[in-house]
Amino acid sequence: MKKKLSMLVTMTVMTGLLAACGSSNGGNAGAENAGNANAPSNAPAAPAEKVTLQFWHSMGGDNGKRIDAMIQRFNESHDNIEVVGTFQGGYDETVTKLQQAVASGSAPDVSMLERAYVEMFADSEVLEDLTPYLEKSGISADEFTPGLMGHSYFNDQLVSLPLNRSTPILHVNKTLLDEKGLAVPTTWEELEAAANALVVKENGEYTRYGFSMPYDTWYPIAMISQAEGTFFNEDKTSIGFYDNGVGMKVFSQLKKLQGTGALYYPPSTDSGNIVNGMFKEGKVAMVYQSTGSIGGLASAVDFDYVTAFLPKDKVFANPTGGANVSMLAASENKEGAWEFIRWMETDPQGALPFILESGYLPFTKSMVESQEMKDLWAKEPNRKVAYDQLQYAVDTNNDVAWPEVMHEFFSAIEAIMYDSKDIQATLDTFKKEADRILAD
Amino acid sequence: MTKAWRYTGLTLGYLLKTAILIVFVFPFLWMLSTSLQTYRETLSYPPTLVPAMPQWINFAEAMSAGPFLTYFKNSAIVTLSIIAIQLLVMIPAAYAFAKYKFPGKNILFSLVLLAFMIPGQVTFIPVYLMMADWGIAKTLLPQIIPFMSNAFGIFLLRQYFMQIPEEIVEAARLDNAGEFKIMRKIMVPMSMPALATIALFSFVSHWNDYFWPLIMTDAEAIRPLTLGIAMLRETEGISNWHIIMAGNVVLVIPILLVYLFCSKQIVKAFVYSGIK
Repeated sequence: MKKKLSMLVTMTVMTGLLAACGSSNGGNAGAENAGNANAPSNAPAAPAEKVTLQFWHSMGGDNGKRIDAMIQRFNESHDNIEVVGTFQGGYDETVTKLQQAVASGSAPDVSMLERAYVEMFADSEVLEDLTPYLEKSGISADEFTPGLMGHSYFNDQLVSLPLNRSTPILHVNKTLLDEKGLAVPTTWEELEAAANALVVKENGEYTRYGFSMPYDTWYPIAMISQAEGTFFNEDKTSIGFYDNGVGMKVFSQLKKLQGTGALYYPPSTDSGNIVNGMFKEGKVAMVYQSTGSIGGLASAVDFDYVTAFLPKDKVFANPTGGANVSMLAASENKEGAWEFIRWMETDPQGALPFILESGYLPFTKSMVESQEMKDLWAKEPNRKVAYDQLQYAVDTNNDVAWPEVMHEFFSAIEAIMYDSKDIQATLDTFKKEADRILAD
Repeated sequence: MTKAWRYTGLTLGYLLKTAILIVFVFPFLWMLSTSLQTYRETLSYPPTLVPAMPQWINFAEAMSAGPFLTYFKNSAIVTLSIIAIQLLVMIPAAYAFAKYKFPGKNILFSLVLLAFMIPGQVTFIPVYLMMADWGIAKTLLPQIIPFMSNAFGIFLLRQYFMQIPEEIVEAARLDNAGEFKIMRKIMVPMSMPALATIALFSFVSHWNDYFWPLIMTDAEAIRPLTLGIAMLRETEGISNWHIIMAGNVVLVIPILLVYLFCSKQIVKAFVYSGIK
């Protein structure tokens, strides 16, 4: 053992160092090609200047494969542009990576950006204004689905365009509702009545709950807008659901439902998967969940599965989610970068197949009117409901300070939903914190 | 009476050991079980423990989702280089701290301890900018260089070296052994258990490291296995847990193998340091 270990040490020193150096050369070569399109080693005979673009995205799993396929379609149809797509972790991780890359001058040309972070980057003036490019290509801003443009403008600059966008929606186990003779709820009152009617309690334990939602800020924000509150107030100096009592109303409603088993509020870790699993097994009859889950749920459940608008209080309302695409102002190949964005947004071979397969929302008029989309909606009406709900899309949490306020909001949700702290006192604390952050 | 007591004691001991064993083994079993389930099985509630029909194809699917051979190679190069360099730096450093008297020794040792206490999350941005400045951001080096010295290892090894009697070192000096020879022939062989422990800890933490390589790498060609597996996750919607867990099984196999070979040495390290 002793001998073996010292041998291992010496051997790994040699091979490890050599290998590290070896691949470092390889890596450098790649970098040079990326940065310097004219490198003599690069193009042996091609006369046209070929540019290489870096595109960062956050799509893993099956959607990652779909993004890769899209990039491949682009590269095959563009002789002088090569897009290199790289997965940079989830949305938050991509943001961290972008921050440091901007600081070190190694930012990509084009990046996917979770919509709530767009303001933060735009405020640092690192995103390119796409207005002139749009004009030059003769594309009207009206072409884009209005409900998905809430995060696209910053100080009258068009800093991002929608790409993989989602929205929360009500997923319903219609078989269970039919058993009880219940209609799919459209208002808070109907939801309350239906959810309570669906509760099954055996020997003092709930074996079935009415409805559920993942642990996220998205769903309380949806309910705040349904009660005609806003997350931030109009001039973004405070929150917009405190003085008008909307916050109190939303959380009282949630606590009331939680108390009777009508609402199952899942533990924070992996809540989305827990909720999906329970829905699939009929342990909850309805869930508030992203439209991104429609495809996965449809292929997993055995019952009659339908989607519906999130129930309204005073009005129908729902926030949006998912990510936009932006061009980095530091890009050295802006023409090429725009071509890639333009192609994704408007070409029938661009993002459309990705949207059709993934379950994300169509974001242009031509996508909505395309034959492929019509066929899909005829086959899967659940997907059309998601798009139709966009007419009520409203995002009231767009502000540079959102990521910071979000953490405080999560703490407030935890205090109320898990620890049953006094709602008014919790909202008092949250308002104070939010005001402090917004004042900075 | 006493016999009965002894048997109860033994039984109780076994029961406790079994309980602890279950606590530690269960997550591994669950991972293994999930990696062999179908998509629909992974979504069942309550979860199934024994897959109805083992799905070996999950492994093929996980491994074909990206350039896993490259990831594996990168993980191996980075981890092994780190361990090798750490041992090269650590042994002389610990030897000097344990057996030499020189001015400023205490200050230097406090500096080592200080390095041990600052988490990487505090320094990653400046380190990244420095690496980018040096033009090595597109290589494997940013994953290796920051870990060339291991403060915890120096600390542990110094304690271990201090237990080796001074007389042995002096006897070797009388026989004309140079410092490197003393290290190689006396210090290292006598502290094999400690070295194995440090190397294993280092192996596990760098093999499993996700945060640092995520921050330091922008391209597939230089990414390790952990990032490849993270890529199997869906960002939104329902993740294919059976595929992700298949990836995780592949990730932990080398650790389990290394542990099998090192476990005896590790137990020794703790027993030996206990006796003094």
